Amino acid sequence: MTADSPRLRLGIIAVVALSLFAALFARLWFLQVLTAGEHELAAQANQQRVVPLPAPRGRILDRDGEILVANRASNVVTVDRSTLGQMDDGEADDVIERLAGVVDKPPFMLQDRLVDQRLGPFTPVPVAEDVAEEVLIELRERQDEFPGVTAEQSAVRTYPHASLAAHVLGYVGAINTDELAAAGGVEGSGGYRLSSRIGKEGIERTFEEDLRGVEGEVVLEVTALGVPIRELSRREPVQGRDVVLSIDLDAQRVAEEALAEGMVQTQRHRDPETGEPVIFGGSTVVLDVKEGSVTAMASWPTFDPTSFVYQIAPQQFADLTDPARGTPFVNRAVLGQYAPGSTWKLVTALAGLETGLITPETTIFDPGTYTIPDCGRGCGRQNAGRAAYGEVALRKALTVSSDTYFYDLGARAWQQRERLGETPIQDMAGLLGFGERTGVALPTEAAGRLASPALRAEAYEANPDLFATGDWFIGDNVNIAIGQGDIAVTPIQLANAYATFATGGTRYQPNLALRVQDQDGTVIREIQPRVDERVDLPAGARGPILDGLVGATQSEDPRGTAYNAFRDFPHDLYPVAGKTGTAQTGGGRVDDALFAAFAPAGDPRYSISVVMERAGFGSTWAAPVARTILGSLSGLEEPEAVAPVPGSSA
Amino acid sequence: METTAAPRGIGAVLRRDPAAPWRHLDWPLVGAVLAIAGLGCLMVYSATRTSMGDAGLDPYLYLKRQAAFLAVGLAVTAVVVAIDYRSYRELAAVFYLACLGLLVLVLTPLGTEVNSAQSWFRLGSFQLQPAELVKLALILLLATTCSAGRGLLSRHRFLVSVSAAAVPAFLILLQPDMGSMLVLVAIFLGVVVVAGARPLHLAVLVVLGVLGVWAMFHFEKVDNYQRDRLTDFARSGEAITTASGFQAAQAETAIGAGGLFGAGLYEGTQTKLGFVPEQQTDFIFTVVGEELGFAGSATLLALYGVILWRVWRTAQLAKDLFGTLVCAGIFAMLLFQIFENLGMSMGIMPITGLPLPLLSYGGSSMLTTCAGLGLVLNIHMRRFS
Repeated sequence: MTADSPRLRLGIIAVVALSLFAALFARLWFLQVLTAGEHELAAQANQQRVVPLPAPRGRILDRDGEILVANRASNVVTVDRSTLGQMDDGEADDVIERLAGVVDKPPFMLQDRLVDQRLGPFTPVPVAEDVAEEVLIELRERQDEFPGVTAEQSAVRTYPHASLAAHVLGYVGAINTDELAAAGGVEGSGGYRLSSRIGKEGIERTFEEDLRGVEGEVVLEVTALGVPIRELSRREPVQGRDVVLSIDLDAQRVAEEALAEGMVQTQRHRDPETGEPVIFGGSTVVLDVKEGSVTAMASWPTFDPTSFVYQIAPQQFADLTDPARGTPFVNRAVLGQYAPGSTWKLVTALAGLETGLITPETTIFDPGTYTIPDCGRGCGRQNAGRAAYGEVALRKALTVSSDTYFYDLGARAWQQRERLGETPIQDMAGLLGFGERTGVALPTEAAGRLASPALRAEAYEANPDLFATGDWFIGDNVNIAIGQGDIAVTPIQLANAYATFATGGTRYQPNLALRVQDQDGTVIREIQPRVDERVDLPAGARGPILDGLVGATQSEDPRGTAYNAFRDFPHDLYPVAGKTGTAQTGGGRVDDALFAAFAPAGDPRYSISVVMERAGFGSTWAAPVARTILGSLSGLEEPEAVAPVPGSSA
Repeated sequence: METTAAPRGIGAVLRRDPAAPWRHLDWPLVGAVLAIAGLGCLMVYSATRTSMGDAGLDPYLYLKRQAAFLAVGLAVTAVVVAIDYRSYRELAAVFYLACLGLLVLVLTPLGTEVNSAQSWFRLGSFQLQPAELVKLALILLLATTCSAGRGLLSRHRFLVSVSAAAVPAFLILLQPDMGSMLVLVAIFLGVVVVAGARPLHLAVLVVLGVLGVWAMFHFEKVDNYQRDRLTDFARSGEAITTASGFQAAQAETAIGAGGLFGAGLYEGTQTKLGFVPEQQTDFIFTVVGEELGFAGSATLLALYGVILWRVWRTAQLAKDLFGTLVCAGIFAMLLFQIFENLGMSMGIMPITGLPLPLLSYGGSSMLTTCAGLGLVLNIHMRRFS
């Protein structure tokens, strides 16, 4: 070996050094040049916490600006279950135990709230509401002892009139998985987050976009330990817009109270099997026929939306949807579907005039009973109480509610179906808005049902075992002529049909809101009346029908069906054109009581429908409720206690 | 050429004797060292100013101390340079034995435990890490041993060398300080390879080494946290579940976030908000990466390249084999520490607690590095005498 050998061998460590430096340089290049962007984002995410500032929702006002729904500040403690889920059982229990001590509740109450499966796994669960300011501060100061616990002040809904108009207003709740998906997911186009609250029912839902406002946010710089250092930026939330309803607070209150007074007196039902009391409900709708809007909408039994301000207790919600308790949660005004009974005679009368089957002067003899022509079995029909009305023309037929008159009309319509078509009555009903949703601004609405030969055949073909026959008989036409058979209407449809007649044929999609405005009252959007259809009513129909309907509330002889209910009503100043209805519910059960009307008769302003399930005669139960409401709307009567009146007519 | 005249100050010496060792001082090396050490002070200050300020302490404390360490380090360099390196040959064995003594002592209650390693002596406000000194002692002893004969390394001298390295390595492993132990291995390899170790000897040693590592893991002589550090590295890309994995990820983020030109001095958010732990010491490079960017980091890398180049070149130029081997040892020591430290900061090496020479905060490391580079300067300027 030469003396140079060590120097040659130095080459080895030089090669090693060059390789290692090349590796370092390459890595440096990769981190700081090739992938610098993602690291920058990661560093930024490290350093910033975005805290959303929820926007207070807009208020909901009545037509005169009276507050129906507003906001108030509430200190709420929420728990993020996903955080607790990552801890050991014992550790999570300790947190709950500690938290229970701070909010002064027994731990099991918190646990109960936390097992609620109606909220998504990542949605913070409220466990204590309206806690004291000191609790809020204590929880924040001891944040490290309470992982996943958030204590903050938030704006919650407040209802100055408690349950008033609950079904119309709806409620607000934590967003669920479906709603989140529909809004484009978390941080999606809808701008909702897991902890967002959203309108669930009623106006809160249909006007969600106006009411919700624009969420703000504050961006904080935080240390590795999550301690905020300073505010980097802040965007203030924008409160949602106010929605001004067409509902009149006073009318709504009178309607609800009158309905409730009436309904309470009809509660005598028991479950045939268990003997337990069963509650049946009712509804009334008042429409402004000139404005095409809803003045009052009541459904009984009702509920207090305050129960939904935080997460409603499961038992409470079960009660609200319990049929034995009358399913208070359901808005019967738009979801209840009822046989219209004699209130339907307006439709049949118009169809008769339209087809020429009758003129206003056509008379038939009503002996109190009726036998269906061309009929095999079960062909006898009778007036309510077998009352015999003698010679009856259109006016009297409506005033006294002669079934025989309309049976005859229905039978003749079917006999002349070659000339008139099979469904002249249903066609007229369709023009008045039956069988389809009115389009009122509520999230859910039933369409009702209009039976017809075609639908009957269709249903039979689909399910031959379910029906005895797919044929339509003359008896079916006789039945639908007086609003029985497979005819179902919603209270709002009934009121809207009478409104359509009252306006001379203008059928609106009833509006529930008049405008959207900001907190100062500056109008942002006017909601114009929406004309659904202009119906050509048969010429010469208005006068006689009006006479007949006004007679129902006023005429002493022949005795109008609602005469007793409207006794001593200021008829001269405020004539009411109305029709009672008593709809059979089948199986020997008590009838549904109905009343539909509009007033004042000469220059109609309001139409009204009252439906009371299993109450009995419309004249006895429904007409007095309508009288109280109309008396108040007329401005001529103080609302008086509703009491049943003697009555017998359909 | 030795001057016999009584010294009359450096200026006089330089003027009088053009061949004097002082004239051959390696200025590029000195420049690179001063540049890196200066940058180190700045980076240590940047890494500590916020947290110290927040704690209500003197934000300049770490800067002052690091500057003091540097001053002491440069003084030591001057002393080391002043004495002809050949006289260190006689002292190598004594120095080595003294260091072994310290390594034993540090394991007794006299030593202090920091970060679960019994590695320190507390001397007032200063902490001495004997593992740092033993690196130099091992270099001198190995260079002495291996330069004693001619030609390839005999089995006898190879075994002596192995023993010389194994004893302190074992003692350091007891602390335990895996990083410093590996530095000793690197020094050993650097010196014996250049000294001419036989490939067979090295091969046998490598096989024994692999068996030893396997045995340590197999009989669970490795602490959990050490295993985490090693296995985190192998598991990159999976979810981070360990503290050391978090450390590594935050370090990478900090460096990557610097981009081409960095966030600017004192502007690194990862740095000032405390996302990277041990930032003034082992992870000091993340400050450079985040605040000075690729431009600054690459420059730093180049400066280290200059130092290594000058050390390597001195090894080539050294007048005798002892000088060459001392330079080889120092080269291996610096190379391994630089690669391991930068590598772990950038996520291509497992995390071991090793300081970055001249840049990391710490007196012992600064002292060792300065003394080592003093030796190199010494060898370089006496290459003709």
